[in-house]
Amino acid sequence: MSEVALLQLIGLTVVGCGILILLFITSKFLRVVGFVVIVLGTFTLIALGVPQMPSLPPAIETFDIAKVKTPDDLASIGQKIFFSKGQCALCHSIGPSESARCPDLKGIGAKLAPEFIYESLTEPQAYIYLDFRHEGLPKEYPARMPHINKNPIALSKQEIYSVIAFLQKMSGEPISVKVEDVLGVGEEGDVKVASVHGAY
Amino acid sequence: MKNPGTIETRHSWLPKVKPASLFGWSVVWTLLLLPACVWAQDAATQAMSVEYRDIPGLGSRNVIWVIAQQHLLLAGFVLGVPIFAWVCEIVGWKTKEARYDTLAKEFTKLLTSAYATTALFGGILLFLLIGLYPKLMAYLSDVFFPSFILYCILFLLETVTLYLYWYGWDAMQGNKKGFHLFLGFLLNLFALGIMIVPNAWATFQASPVVVADGTAIDRAWAATWNPTWWPVNIHRLIANVVLGGFICGAYAGIRYLLAASQAEREHYDWMGYVGNFIGVFGMLPLPFAGYWLMREIYQYNQQMGITLMGGFLAWLFILQAMLIGVLFLGANYYFWMGITYRIPGSEQSYKRPILAMLIVLMVCLGVWMTPHSLVASLEEARKMGGTHHPLLGVFGVMSAKMTVANLMILVTFMSFIMYWRAGKQETSGWAKMAKAVMGALLVIAGIAVIVLGVWGYFVPAIIRINYFSVAQVLIVLFIMITFTPLTAVLMKSAKTMTEMVWGRMPIRAAYCLVSNAVMVILLMSLMGYARSSSRVHWHVYGVMRDTSDYAYSPALGYAAAFMSLNTFVFCLLVAFIFWVATMGDKGKKGPERGQPAEEPAKIPMDATPAMAGGAPREGEATPKG
Repeated sequence: MSEVALLQLIGLTVVGCGILILLFITSKFLRVVGFVVIVLGTFTLIALGVPQMPSLPPAIETFDIAKVKTPDDLASIGQKIFFSKGQCALCHSIGPSESARCPDLKGIGAKLAPEFIYESLTEPQAYIYLDFRHEGLPKEYPARMPHINKNPIALSKQEIYSVIAFLQKMSGEPISVKVEDVLGVGEEGDVKVASVHGAY
Repeated sequence: MKNPGTIETRHSWLPKVKPASLFGWSVVWTLLLLPACVWAQDAATQAMSVEYRDIPGLGSRNVIWVIAQQHLLLAGFVLGVPIFAWVCEIVGWKTKEARYDTLAKEFTKLLTSAYATTALFGGILLFLLIGLYPKLMAYLSDVFFPSFILYCILFLLETVTLYLYWYGWDAMQGNKKGFHLFLGFLLNLFALGIMIVPNAWATFQASPVVVADGTAIDRAWAATWNPTWWPVNIHRLIANVVLGGFICGAYAGIRYLLAASQAEREHYDWMGYVGNFIGVFGMLPLPFAGYWLMREIYQYNQQMGITLMGGFLAWLFILQAMLIGVLFLGANYYFWMGITYRIPGSEQSYKRPILAMLIVLMVCLGVWMTPHSLVASLEEARKMGGTHHPLLGVFGVMSAKMTVANLMILVTFMSFIMYWRAGKQETSGWAKMAKAVMGALLVIAGIAVIVLGVWGYFVPAIIRINYFSVAQVLIVLFIMITFTPLTAVLMKSAKTMTEMVWGRMPIRAAYCLVSNAVMVILLMSLMGYARSSSRVHWHVYGVMRDTSDYAYSPALGYAAAFMSLNTFVFCLLVAFIFWVATMGDKGKKGPERGQPAEEPAKIPMDATPAMAGGAPREGEATPKG
């Protein structure tokens, strides 16, 4: 018996019990209980009558950086990180968006050098916008950007380079991040497999 | 001066050992225990790496689902009842009608036991979450720890205020009533804090923001101010008022059925009216709050919005429409029964408007329940030219649903106005003019809502969402805000032609009140499932993925079975709380004292609902030009 059929059977039994209570029980409180049971059973039966679609999770993808052969491979890993572990899409959009709370990153790969992007990600306060349009000391506007290489996001160098490759690719630029440079990154060189999902 | 022998005397059971041998024993024990320490360290490391634990047979998620739902519903109840009680107390204080104060006290009495039960379920939920979802809880603790402390402080303040409010009720009458009302205000203020702090944790899971560097307080504050925090706060606050009102109504309905005397019937009939009034009063702005929440969700993440409204949860909104429709019908039906049975003679003059309102409500409900895309066979789809029905398909879109939702709110509001005016004759010279203006405004508002709804089909979605839907909401709010004071002024000088008669409602009115409460509880359970499922396979949307065996959202039928179970358990819990809280009263007036049962204060036959403005008796009317 399928799960839906079993639940329908239970629902019908519950409604039946409610009807029996209303027919044969005289206690007023129990009759109210019977009425509630009929309402709830009917609701369940109606819900079982609409299309039953569970929402299944997508398979967890792992990316073996050792298998990266071309800059495009790197960019596709960067795209996944951008929309998941990196949490970039929580604030940034690619293209104009009403919901974006931070700068639009469309074309950013063409406007900025990879070194500058790397520095912006790992040291967001390196360059602070100063407003001189008033008397006295200039007003500072520190970036609300977190350090991407530190907790809680904590992307590795390889992952940051992958994201930069993605930003360059979606800006229509040739990807200047070299695969061999990424694979030869020092401190996390031994980390070959980056689990894009699940970490924080 | 210390007596060196004291210690030895007191602990004479200790073996007498020399310091050198003590050291030796220590070394031996250390060597013996060393492997155990290493094992314990391994176990600790292992425990730290555990992401999930399960409860075999039941499933961790199912257990959390039931406990969390009970906690949330009870929390809604204990946060809604103080608002309800406080409003009743203020009404009683302003109108000098003791029955409102008695009603407020009757419900506050429930709070102490309900509060303990809520805290009990909260504690169980916390232990289960720590045990079953350690990784998620470690993450949330890391982000929100300062707000945990704030939550504890608010709980302490709420508890102290509740004790003062309840135990000081009789002592703080007369001159001290103002202070008691202030305590009621504080009680609700702390309750609001208790609600919005955990809302931050839950909404952060659905709409997280990047938690930047900074102190623990900075990080917690940043996470708290996430995009859906305030929309959920407002939505839940209103929903709690609705829950409190309709549960009061259901309680009154059951007591009405069980009433042994006419005086009891009158009292509980009146209580049912007040409960239903407060429930409806809260229900009218609730769809607007829900609309704001959905708008924020769409703005935050369009994919999440699509999952809710157009994805696998789309059918959930048809069920929601059904429940809201039944609730609107129930609330209106109760008003109409009130006109028929409490105000004899009025049923004839309101028969036609009631029929028209019923037809409008049914048509609106039909439109609201029309699904966007039908589940059709290939042949059926070919005949229809797609999954949309050629004729009914137009009703499946948001423009139609927003229109009918607004119309249903208008109709319900007019039912209330009708009930208010039934059995009274306006005496003001400008009454005719005022009624004509109100009638014209109502017709214009109805037409405007429909025109905007139809126009909405021909403009881009963003124009409809940002301007047309907002305009529809503002039109309905305008009607409610202008009609209420205008009717209150009209009724102030009106003659009461037919006296209000309490305690004559038919049995089905009591069942109607119970049905309204069940609908609200089911709706809260349904939308809780919707909010949770909109995160799909994420604990924290886009940040922390659910990698457990329960990372999927179950289908609606399975979920509905759980919702029904949760609703039933909650109803039983509330019934138990009511029973426990009123057990003492029965004892006091019980037959063992050899006295007849004490009956509630008889409500005067000419008593008019103060919450609907009230009206003086015929002789007291003060006609003004």
